[in-house]
Amino acid sequence: MKRSVHIVAIATATATAIGLSAGAGFSREAVVADPDAKVEYSGTLSILTKFGLQQLSPYFVSVAQEYEKLHPGVKIELIQESDDSIKGKTKTLVASNSLPDIYFTWTGSWGENFVRGDRAVDLTKVVGPDTVWGKTLSPAAVKAFEYNGKLYGVPLYLDAKFMGYNKQIFEKAGVEAPATFEKLLESCDALRKAGAAPISFGNKEAWPAVHYVGQLLAYNVPTATLERDFDPAEAKFDDPGYVASLAQFKALVDHCTDGAAVNGTSYAAALQAFSNTDAAMYYQEIIEFDQSASADTKLKAADFGFFRLPPPAGAKGDVKAIEGAPEGYMISAASTNIPLAIDFMKFVTAPDNAKVLSAPPYGQPSATIGGASEATMNPAVVAGLKDISEATYLMPWLDTANTPRVAAAWLSSLQALAGGTMTPEGVMEEVRKASAADAKRK
Amino acid sequence: MTVPGPMTSGPAAGGASLAGKRRARPARTWPSFRWVAIAVIMVGWFVYYPIVDNFIVSTTNQDIYTGEVEYVGLDNYARLLDDPVVWTSLRNNVLYAVISVLFQVFGAFLLAAIIEGLQDERWQRFWRAVYFVPSAISITVTGLLFYFIYQPKSGLLDAALVALGLGEFVRPWLGSEHTAIYAIIAMSQWQGFGYSTLLFALAIQKIPRELYDAAILDGAGPLRRLWNITFPMTREMTGLMIIVTITGAFQVFNEVMVMTAGGPNNSSQVLGTWLYQQGFIQNDFGYGAAIAAVIFVVTLLTGIAQLWYTRRRRVQL
Repeated sequence: MKRSVHIVAIATATATAIGLSAGAGFSREAVVADPDAKVEYSGTLSILTKFGLQQLSPYFVSVAQEYEKLHPGVKIELIQESDDSIKGKTKTLVASNSLPDIYFTWTGSWGENFVRGDRAVDLTKVVGPDTVWGKTLSPAAVKAFEYNGKLYGVPLYLDAKFMGYNKQIFEKAGVEAPATFEKLLESCDALRKAGAAPISFGNKEAWPAVHYVGQLLAYNVPTATLERDFDPAEAKFDDPGYVASLAQFKALVDHCTDGAAVNGTSYAAALQAFSNTDAAMYYQEIIEFDQSASADTKLKAADFGFFRLPPPAGAKGDVKAIEGAPEGYMISAASTNIPLAIDFMKFVTAPDNAKVLSAPPYGQPSATIGGASEATMNPAVVAGLKDISEATYLMPWLDTANTPRVAAAWLSSLQALAGGTMTPEGVMEEVRKASAADAKRK
Repeated sequence: MTVPGPMTSGPAAGGASLAGKRRARPARTWPSFRWVAIAVIMVGWFVYYPIVDNFIVSTTNQDIYTGEVEYVGLDNYARLLDDPVVWTSLRNNVLYAVISVLFQVFGAFLLAAIIEGLQDERWQRFWRAVYFVPSAISITVTGLLFYFIYQPKSGLLDAALVALGLGEFVRPWLGSEHTAIYAIIAMSQWQGFGYSTLLFALAIQKIPRELYDAAILDGAGPLRRLWNITFPMTREMTGLMIIVTITGAFQVFNEVMVMTAGGPNNSSQVLGTWLYQQGFIQNDFGYGAAIAAVIFVVTLLTGIAQLWYTRRRRVQL
């Protein structure tokens, strides 16, 4: 009975949402934010955040409470989702034309969808580099939300992927942070010999493998080729760097992880294993540093180190690139109180709130200039931010840079590659097929 | 307008007179339909409209972001035939149905017969409760519980295998394309087995004791009594359970989403999760609606079979 209710619910949600969106329609006019618009401090603002995790959820709650205290006529309604659940939630809200006033977005094709559908407010005049607000934000982070020469997003924090490691385990095994990919594989062998699990890797959700491969692609495939291949109309996926990256990923799985078992482990369990000191390394986002090592975990901050996934010898791409992107928020074009929504985001990104966001327990390095206080932040996060600023290219997440169908091909095929049931060539074949199907559909 | 009321529609008012009988019919006049109109509209809007709309959506390609709709006729249905994951999903649904029928119908029937055959009623109640408890746990909780049981290396299952000297059978149960769907189906049997057992136990309790007493006097042993009395007398319940189980197997969703989300490499996808993947992950709502239509047709046919079977096999005791 429960099953049938669920299926009926999905079918109903799908059909009704589509039916309503097709029938009711919505404004297809581009909405441009007016920098001189008067803010009416009254009414309700709804916000969809990606801070649903227990550790992160208090941030928006407290910011909202402070804002409500400053402006008693305003009520903030929060919808807080996790990294995984927000994808389905956002699409349901889009399909039913119910996007909240402010909503979370990734960069790349994820954000582009909202722009393409005229569902995001053009914020160029309020967040552009020459504006008062724009000058308080990292220019590169603001630019990451640029589409068709216009700015649509407010970056909240910066993110990038690093290999975190346990200094004590490395020391006991006589291993140092490797400088090349080949050295990393050798380190894994040495760690295994010393009785340690080299890398804790959970790929049940499939996107963790995509993160490894994304970084390797940035190293092995010329940037221009990569960016061309993000667009199905232009994509070829024929650069030899693709297959080379996949072969390297498979070697990493075989040398450094539990092999095929990684597909049965969740990323959260893998992170837990690392913070419990059961594994020497864990490939993680900078925003996870404070979850890996804190006062409450077995792995202490003093024993936590990190390095970029090292580039392979002779790589033909950009070896100074780093995989990552800022994450931020857009304002719904259908919002009835756009000036208030902009004002709230200005409040969220103000230096005082930004410093709270950057410091433990949140550890989300703010995109606000001066929003990162070294005095209160985890030193590893500070060092990671410095590393990000030195990167020559920010490689976007493969599953948000590509179209959903191509992303799905990457996700499922990389699980097969990790599980040993598909070859690197087979993976590329699946990706090319998905891209061709998308090009045909467009 | 006739106003229905206790004085006009009740037997006391109606009496034996013809006029009274005529007055007993006003419930069929148009004004009375007002009272059911809301229910009819609700059922139409929430049950039948989505079904019809789903078929309409399945003939289109829709971009949920721009709202653009393109009519593609039966293209989405043609795509179903060429989509290998649809066939994997269908195969998994069929596997789910076959294994569930074996365990949750025939296995549960045998277990119920054994429990009901116990002499002491207190033990009967105890075992019914023991087997029913898993059914009372939410599927999400069960999924997480089994996720930990199946964990590679640290999971309870692998640890038990190693302890029993069966280390060669240790494997990533949910992480392998060859075992993921079986691991999920096994969990589902664990959860659903007790519920089916309870239903069979109720059916067995309805069988008159005299039949068993007579069979014992005739010298029939337990197996013969099971085959010649219990099985035929619970045939209606067995048929119903087969159909309910098959229908449920084609609507399975939660178990797969919680444990593998259809992975690895789509090996544990079922039609329900593939529908979700297409609609809500890949933005392909038209194609998702076509998959939903397939699920609808399969479950509708099973439902019709259920109605036909229960009418034909109704047992009058």
